[in-house]
Amino acid sequence: MLGVLAGLGRSTTRRFSAIGGPARFAFQAVTALPSLPGAGRRVALRVLLNQLRFTALQAVPLVVLLSGVLSFIVILLTRRQLGDIGGEIIGTLMVVSIVRLLGPLLTALAVVGRSGTAITAELATNTVLGEIRALEGMGIDPFHYLVLPRLAGSVVSVTLLLVLFDGVALLAGYLATSVTQASGGRYLANVLAALTTSDVVLSVVKGVLFGGIVGLLPSYHGLRVTRGPTEIPQAVTRGTVASIALIFITAALLMFLFRA
Amino acid sequence: MSEAGPPPLAFEAVPLGALALASAVRRASDPAALFSLQVAAHETVVLLGDETSGVDRLGALALGLDTTPGAGRALVFGTEIAALSRVRQLAFRRRIGYLPAGDGLLQNLSLRDNIRLPLRFGSDFHSDEIEGRVNVILAQLRLKAVASLRPAAATEEERRRAALGRALAFDPELVVLEQPFDGLPERTAAELLEVARGGEVAEGGRRALFITGQALPALLRPRVERLLRVGALAELART
Repeated sequence: MLGVLAGLGRSTTRRFSAIGGPARFAFQAVTALPSLPGAGRRVALRVLLNQLRFTALQAVPLVVLLSGVLSFIVILLTRRQLGDIGGEIIGTLMVVSIVRLLGPLLTALAVVGRSGTAITAELATNTVLGEIRALEGMGIDPFHYLVLPRLAGSVVSVTLLLVLFDGVALLAGYLATSVTQASGGRYLANVLAALTTSDVVLSVVKGVLFGGIVGLLPSYHGLRVTRGPTEIPQAVTRGTVASIALIFITAALLMFLFRA
Repeated sequence: MSEAGPPPLAFEAVPLGALALASAVRRASDPAALFSLQVAAHETVVLLGDETSGVDRLGALALGLDTTPGAGRALVFGTEIAALSRVRQLAFRRRIGYLPAGDGLLQNLSLRDNIRLPLRFGSDFHSDEIEGRVNVILAQLRLKAVASLRPAAATEEERRRAALGRALAFDPELVVLEQPFDGLPERTAAELLEVARGGEVAEGGRRALFITGQALPALLRPRVERLLRVGALAELART
């Protein structure tokens, strides 16, 4: 009996630790910001710009492709299933399905796949090669030099890419309806009628939250590596799975909070 | 001339065997043995010991990077870095040159940028002043021709030179070196030791040096003030 209780306790502690570790890491990252030295800001800014180039700029073709293909599928399915009625409601459907749900999710997943994995692998390699210890030894906080620029880069990138994703999707919808039934004006009217201020605000909130997740969880798992190079792929897997899971949970919570 | 103020580095009652036990290696001979040592200004102290001795953890202990409970106390200029707040720890460490085992160079930066990084991050020097200082270090360590290489493209000797250059970027009074000479030819090791000492003054080297490792090339032995070996902790040589 005692053994069963002890096992339950261990399991519960492990689960809370799996939540508490990243939470403590996020707290440390945020509280490290005020102590970033003046000279260090310039260096961190350069790291941030590099991160933006990789995470946002170089991801533009992928996001445009995903958005275009998704729009094509939504429009095709709607027209096929609903016929002319589908043509009438396509604008509303694009806002409901893509702007409110799939756009933010797919953008975040694309960034997790491209940049989240890279962040974990890079920081895990830094750790294994003793670079983190060397940074601390010369008085540079790894949060300042490595984590904060990646966090800020991810937040800005996901937000911008999310806007791009939605923009491309709505534009693709406009082009498709214009070409097939010459009702681009009605499509735009439907989109504008369905799109509310809260959609815009919620998109930005999602961009910030999902970006924060992509910046923090992969960094956390990358810096936790202790045993050696063989742990790097495991850390990448842990970081990616945790990020995807938390993004979906956050999306569900936001949906619940803002639509309730 | 007598030195005022606390010594650059002092270890007090450090359970070396326990340090080794706390690491992955679990074969310490005497976990209860307590170790104390002072490194005076201008003095070069070498402490040798194998991987089970706990010697390889002393550098991290000195810099406050190892905060294992019961690991003993290390005082740098009279201050226990591990007891400071995180912000003050980081600021304090800039007073110390640190060459970790395995060099710890950042792989995505060139050798020049690795040496430049602590100056750019932790000082308010003008960029021209930083460039001047980096160029002096590169010339002193004969790295100018390979300064633009990434660590992966450099030889082990060049990487070690760059890591030493980075440790000396702030021209510190105390330098802590972990296994700095492993795998290097004796003449190169002797040259790096001289650079680390920063030249000679009447009392010894211009800087205080604390070196840990498993062996010291014979050519270097006359150039260190104290050579100690953990185990018997016997003082082998004093010049």
